[in-house]
Amino acid sequence: MSHRPARRTRTAVAALAAVSALTLTACAGPSVGATASGDASAEAVDWSQVEPAKEITWWSNHPGQSQELEQQLIDEFTAESGIEVDLVTAGADYDEVAQRFQAASQTDELPDLVIASDVWWFRYHLNDQIMPVDDVMEFLDADADDFQPALYADYEYDDQHWAVPYARSTPLFYYNKDLWTKAGLPDRGPETWDELVEWDATVKKEVPKGGSTFGLSTGPSWGAWWFENMIWGQDGAYSDGFDLTLDTPEAVAGGEFVRDLFHGSGVATLSADDAMADFSSGLIASTIGSTGSLKGALDAASFEVGTAYLPDGPKGGGTPTGGTGLAIPSSKTPEQQLAAAMFLEFLTNTENTATFSQATGYMPVRTSAVESDAMKKTYEQTPQFRTAVDQLADKARVQDDVRVFVPGADALLNEALEQIVIEDADPKAAFEAVTPRIETAYTENVEPYL
Amino acid sequence: MTTVVTPRPSGLPDAPSARAGTPPAGPPPATRTRSRLGARRRRNALLWALLLAGPNVLLIVVFVYRPLLQSLYLSTLQWNLGSPSARFVGLGNYVEWFSAPTTGRVVTTTLVFTVATVGGAMVLGLGLALLLNRRLRGRGIARTVAFAPYVLSGFAVGILWLFMFDPRYGLVQELLGWVGLESPAWYTARPWPLVMVIVVYLWKNLGYVALIYLAGLQAVPQDLRDAAALDGASSARTLRSIVLPLLTPTTFFLLVTMMLASLQSFDIIKAMTQGGPLGSTTTLMYSIYEESFVGGRAGYASAVATVLFLVLLAVTAVQMRYVQRKVHYA
Repeated sequence: MSHRPARRTRTAVAALAAVSALTLTACAGPSVGATASGDASAEAVDWSQVEPAKEITWWSNHPGQSQELEQQLIDEFTAESGIEVDLVTAGADYDEVAQRFQAASQTDELPDLVIASDVWWFRYHLNDQIMPVDDVMEFLDADADDFQPALYADYEYDDQHWAVPYARSTPLFYYNKDLWTKAGLPDRGPETWDELVEWDATVKKEVPKGGSTFGLSTGPSWGAWWFENMIWGQDGAYSDGFDLTLDTPEAVAGGEFVRDLFHGSGVATLSADDAMADFSSGLIASTIGSTGSLKGALDAASFEVGTAYLPDGPKGGGTPTGGTGLAIPSSKTPEQQLAAAMFLEFLTNTENTATFSQATGYMPVRTSAVESDAMKKTYEQTPQFRTAVDQLADKARVQDDVRVFVPGADALLNEALEQIVIEDADPKAAFEAVTPRIETAYTENVEPYL
Repeated sequence: MTTVVTPRPSGLPDAPSARAGTPPAGPPPATRTRSRLGARRRRNALLWALLLAGPNVLLIVVFVYRPLLQSLYLSTLQWNLGSPSARFVGLGNYVEWFSAPTTGRVVTTTLVFTVATVGGAMVLGLGLALLLNRRLRGRGIARTVAFAPYVLSGFAVGILWLFMFDPRYGLVQELLGWVGLESPAWYTARPWPLVMVIVVYLWKNLGYVALIYLAGLQAVPQDLRDAAALDGASSARTLRSIVLPLLTPTTFFLLVTMMLASLQSFDIIKAMTQGGPLGSTTTLMYSIYEESFVGGRAGYASAVATVLFLVLLAVTAVQMRYVQRKVHYA
């Protein structure tokens, strides 16, 4: 035998070893069998000893088309503090920002401040990706007590707050005032869903061909949000704590109600894509939209836009809160975290939350801002802006845990809702179909980390 | 130790002897030099090969095989994307996928989408290529126009077509209205959302298929066509008996590449339907994204990715083994 095969073998072995080494390095990934996390593992930092970083990065989707305003606020902050903030468009919506944030975890590419929406912040917390903000906000004298209690409490878990409210909203009932007048209806939204059904015959005569009295759209991070009002209106809920209650007669009654709205009384129609676009064009006479869509609707509609509380069901109702807060990643250095917290404090101070609210329609997140002269003037000129704030005080209800805390549950609840709304499915069967999948999501992605 | 003496044909230099107890006599000086030169040349060749192929091999290993193996590893974990910890579940994710109630729907959607897009693009692409192969005025412009959609971003194409399909304001409902038809609920009523993404995918990829077929058509020898014409064969007969058989290498190439691309398509679905409504446009590829990034189940999604990889491997292997046999090379 010659020596060549042996040499080849050696080369092959060496190559294999190199590939294996690379592969094994690659397989580092998550630590297997490690103790479940999700606790506030960060050690207390003495913020007075920390020098803030000179440059930080902020990942945003610019809620309410606020990119220019966000940049303007950044410029003001930089002029005041000397800290540069790099504003990154990290997605078109909350979900896309969150997905990018998840994918970047365990890399050096994380931002210093990130959008954390109602259905995502808890997942960040479970993964130990964000830090509690209480200490640093206290150090900065940010007056956390001034945040609207219902909005700040949304981010509370284990007696700590994991984000600060930023672009916060509730669903609102939008109606076409001009059309309402033509139909001889009072200048207000319906107090109950039954009242809307009663008004349907009159309104329907005034809507253009192909239109309807009330239109809605579905979709992830949307359908299961507004439907909370309807299921609560029947005294039902998605869950009690983390226990699913979709099989209760009250929850099924909520499903029956929305089914009847679309397929029984026929008051409602499903908007092909964006119900707010159909509303602004005058095709549908009323809809449910986010507070954050208010400025866009006022600008786009050629008629006078009315806003009202969400109607009640026979057993009450209420409105869920939503929108997004801002969180600080736990893996950043204290210097970066302090700089991010300083910017966060600036962004949500009384003056700036008022400015943000005026430009977008999102609610001011501070009580002092609601009562400020600037907002009072705005409410006087455009009373529609006031509805969300009043509704928050009068009707806000904490969202059901399963929707906001179980990863993927919102999308599954929306799927059940679409079964009912689009396909006229039996609500009981639609809820039953998604129940085991939500349970799996809970047992895999939440329970081990609690 | 025994000495083996092998008879050698005359005219060849002696082989180095390995007689026990004595040092090998060695080849004559000239042969030794040639042998050294040969070894050096081989070494140089190996070095060159490593130098030239090395970077590419390294890139493939790092960016193809490494993620592939990592995905295989992740598929054995129950891992919430972003979490620093995970739990080993062996084949649990695979068992779950094969028994999940949604798997059948996803597989069916994938099959329908793949067959419709690949089959449609091949048939329409061939027709377009035959048309563009004729001596028509403005042929160059027509070819460019036909190919242009292929170079556009899938996401942008999806968004544009979404506007055009709008059942209330879109161009499609306008066109349907001209012939007295009502627009279907493209966004919401099954199976229209799937039909919609298939149409857009076809529109985007038709030009590519046509271009490759056009190249194939131009390689068909003219003398064969002339001979067929002399024998009195009609155009249809020439197409069936001369052109199509000679196009089989092109057809085979397109079948493999289109099928792989179709099974992996994502951008148009993401832009237009996000897999909905009710999962009616969720293909295997899209379900990987949904499970991983929406549901956060990265381990389970990796298992689905492995299944997709095996499907792609099987499709390619079957095509290589069986379809290639029927390929006629000119």
